[in-house]
Amino acid sequence: MSTLPAFANEPVLELRRAPVRAQLQDAMDALSPKLPLRVPVMIGSGERTGAELLSTDPGEPGRVVAVSTRATEDDVAAAVQEAERGLRTWRALPAAKRASALIRAAAWLRERRLEVAALEVRECAKPWPEADGDVCEAIDFLEYYARSAIELDAGPDLLQVPGERNDMHYAPRGVAAVISPWNFPLAIPCGMTSAALVTGNAVVLKPAEQSPGCAHVLVRALRAGGVPASAISLVAGEGDVGAALVAHPSVHTIAFTGSLPVGLEITAAAGTVAPGQNHIKRVVSELGGKNCVIVDSDADLDDAVPAIVSSAFVYAGQKCSAAARVLVHDAIADQLIERVAGAARVLVVGQADELATDVPPVIERSAQERVNRYAALAREQGRIVARVEAVPDRGWFCPPTVAIELPRDSPVLNEEIFGPLLAIDRVRDVEDACDIVDGLPYALTGGLFARDPATVRYVRQRTPVGNLYVNRGITGAMVGRQPFGGNRLSGTGSKAGGPDYLRQFVEPHVVTENTMRHGLVV
Amino acid sequence: MTDPHPDPDDDQLERSIRQIGADLASAFPSSARHPLRSLDARAMDFASADQELKAALFRFVDVTPACRSLDDLARHLREFLREVPEAPPPLAAAMRIADVKAARPAVGAAAAAGVRHMAHRFIIGETPASALGVLSDLWHHGVASSVDLLGEATVTQPEADRYAARCDEALRELARAEAGWPSRDVLERDSIGAIPRTNVSVKISALTPLLRPDAPELGRRDAAERLRPLLRRADALGAHIHIDMESLDSREAVFDLVLDVFSEEEFARGPSAGMVLQAYLRDSPEQLERILAWAAESGRTPPLTVRLVKGAYWDHELVQATQHGWPAPVFEVKAECDRNFEALTRRLLEARPAVRIAVASHNLRSVAHAIAYNRMIGGEDRDLELQVLRGLGDQLQDALASRGFRVRTYCPVGDLVAGMAYLVRRLLENTSNESFLHEQARGTSLDVLLAAP
Ligand SMILES: Cc1cc2nc3c(=O)[nH]c(=O)nc-3n(C[C@H](O)[C@H](O)[C@H](O)COP(=O)(O)OP(=O)(O)OC[C@H]3O[C@@H](n4cnc5c(N)ncnc54)[C@H](O)[C@@H]3O)c2cc1C
Repeated sequence: MSTLPAFANEPVLELRRAPVRAQLQDAMDALSPKLPLRVPVMIGSGERTGAELLSTDPGEPGRVVAVSTRATEDDVAAAVQEAERGLRTWRALPAAKRASALIRAAAWLRERRLEVAALEVRECAKPWPEADGDVCEAIDFLEYYARSAIELDAGPDLLQVPGERNDMHYAPRGVAAVISPWNFPLAIPCGMTSAALVTGNAVVLKPAEQSPGCAHVLVRALRAGGVPASAISLVAGEGDVGAALVAHPSVHTIAFTGSLPVGLEITAAAGTVAPGQNHIKRVVSELGGKNCVIVDSDADLDDAVPAIVSSAFVYAGQKCSAAARVLVHDAIADQLIERVAGAARVLVVGQADELATDVPPVIERSAQERVNRYAALAREQGRIVARVEAVPDRGWFCPPTVAIELPRDSPVLNEEIFGPLLAIDRVRDVEDACDIVDGLPYALTGGLFARDPATVRYVRQRTPVGNLYVNRGITGAMVGRQPFGGNRLSGTGSKAGGPDYLRQFVEPHVVTENTMRHGLVV
Repeated sequence: MTDPHPDPDDDQLERSIRQIGADLASAFPSSARHPLRSLDARAMDFASADQELKAALFRFVDVTPACRSLDDLARHLREFLREVPEAPPPLAAAMRIADVKAARPAVGAAAAAGVRHMAHRFIIGETPASALGVLSDLWHHGVASSVDLLGEATVTQPEADRYAARCDEALRELARAEAGWPSRDVLERDSIGAIPRTNVSVKISALTPLLRPDAPELGRRDAAERLRPLLRRADALGAHIHIDMESLDSREAVFDLVLDVFSEEEFARGPSAGMVLQAYLRDSPEQLERILAWAAESGRTPPLTVRLVKGAYWDHELVQATQHGWPAPVFEVKAECDRNFEALTRRLLEARPAVRIAVASHNLRSVAHAIAYNRMIGGEDRDLELQVLRGLGDQLQDALASRGFRVRTYCPVGDLVAGMAYLVRRLLENTSNESFLHEQARGTSLDVLLAAP
């Protein structure tokens, strides 16, 4: 396994070429007759089939994409028990063996790339380029963590002196519960799950109730790659299933990506030590954001405007990294507002399966209602400078909106909206902008458009965000290139797709052996 | 497989290229033979030699129009230069001065003047009206022109409307003024017929905010809405419209737009129009076959003029492909690009009169090859147009004009803010180690410069 070639990101489709685009329709045609998919509860080699949970196409809510079994509390208990059993053999394998299972899972996905992307288009209304990017990212996580695990397994070099041998290595923590969101329906569960697995943990995966179909694909990929069934179980369901999993005393690690309130509940619940529980649970969490883009007076608006608009509106603003707020220097604010508003007005709102679509529907009715509430508040407290009212009449569409002149304490400026609503705020200067960013509870991503190297240095040094992007869009972190994750209330600061991510799933062990025997070094 | 055309006699062709190249070189204005010694030329020499300095200089030029005051400008200059590990002595001095607050406006003013001076070399005026003097001078020296309206990126509909309005205004203004120019047969007629004096180059990306690489139809339709009125105007004025080619992201939209619009009944007889083929693209031969097949089928008159270029977005294309893990769409070896350029030149020359050909290059070898091959296959000089960029090809332009060729100079018009992206691209071209101009400026011998790629 030491012969693995160096990691390289899986290339996304070159959709600017017509023959490549033509393949997409074929993939969709191949998927359509298979819908709705059936997603059972998968515990070890057992499957329980039910039909309680329907995931539907957000752009066509009448279309059922997957019919899933809703896991019960008994299922959760059985899954954890199975994981404890599976753990024994799985953790005993050499790291390289586990890594090769990930590599094979990546190959399995690669062979089905377009069909899996088509499923994301349907189940989560991910537009094609985003869906393809998500599948590529899942492949990247598998390939990257496989390599990281082999490196980690070698252990660090310790100081050695005559007469003793010091060895440090990393052991798996135990059973990991993975609770994943729907917005990157393959990549995020894949990243968390494969990181736990490759370091020797066994996983129970509870995917978002909106995207069990995609999670099912992931479990099939991992098992096809050679991860034993006992090491990866799937329990679809809603919040109660996740809560039961978090509370289970045999769970060691909880990897969660989702909203702040749920993340805090998990952290609190995980802090309770049940009778007979001999470990402290570790929570790895990736939570919300209120991501700001700072635009200084010397910014190139030709670059800034398209980058801001795409960061805010691609996938209808439903990325944790999406731009929510622009902090623009007074000197160029009028110009920037006019151009961002004009660029937002030409956004095409439409179905995810159409390549011309810029803004697809949001995930579900409650999300649509939430975004509309914030938009109404923005209208009340400030001024709307762009709103694309022409949206399809079926589906959970939200008009992309740009708001300005909001009071600084407005919820629109401070709370995570997770939808196609962008607020622009004037600032005196970059220092003022940094103060605002510093005052927010979140610290996930941030952007800066500025050309003076001194300004870049200043913002770098002051910003609390986990990922700062300078003179480019603020979404689209790539595995191995932009390790991703937030600070403060945005998460525990673990960096997915980065060199230290796997450490969240292991515990260090040090063994020191006396090698002196009767004065002889043996 | 047999080639449909007789294999050119390579030796004879090479001899003729050398002869034509040498003759053109001897017609270069004398200043060219002692390399340019203007201030910006020297700055460029410095810059080509040192990558960090080049980056600092480009970043400075690029930010100039966005600076709010001379003080701000001087501060930027100092910060960029600070990132150069070993600044040459004159620049180190400038940095020290820029550190002194009181001196900053003076440094800023000097630097701003430097950038403006540089820009003037490439951009002939802020508006078409203010450019008329230069255009008329060129004409009187036997040089035709194509005017390009520089602009900021189009991201909104009003910006697209404004650009279209500027193009329309330019067409009218140029046509009115150019009607008064004396007649120049070389510049106004080839064996197919009349060639318009008024010539405007248009960028599709400026005509719509909707160009999406993944969904070309959308932008194509929107741009067509604004292009048609311009074509009608050009037709009414007897002017030529040339559609520029930009990066590969918009290639499909531009290509399809051109072929579609010129297939429309309304534009089957005019105006005179053209498009661009980029020889640095590996798939350019197939693209050319598509153009030729279209030309054969549509039989449009006057035929489209195909402007053959190497391509202005080479670095961008390579970086973008590398970042995405895509195969490079451009040749990565300069000689391959040059050989492809020559192959496409021959194909185009042979395809006349289904198309007109304009060879746009500052490379003496590429130009001499086109002239030599044209003569070898019995073509007339006037059925091959040669084109250069203002500021980069001035000497070649003079040489070509003095030898009686039809040469057209591409003349950008716009203010400094609008022109910055263009200016930086030209500076990049001028300082690129692989460019012909750079080789020539370094004093490489004519023999080497004219050798087959
Ligand atoms: C009138 C006119 C109009 C133009 N219009 C357009 C247009 O619409 N669209 C457009 O894209 N360009 C256009 N150009 C710009 C043109 O592409 C550049 O000026 C041209 O590429 C420079 O080539 P050259 O033959 O003058 O010089 P050379 O020095 O012979 O060639 C330089 C060119 O070679 C290519 N190159 C450089 N390094 C390599 C390498 N390592 N491997 C392969 N290729 C390499 C690049 O294209 C580079 O620009 C136009 C030029 C003129 C004169």
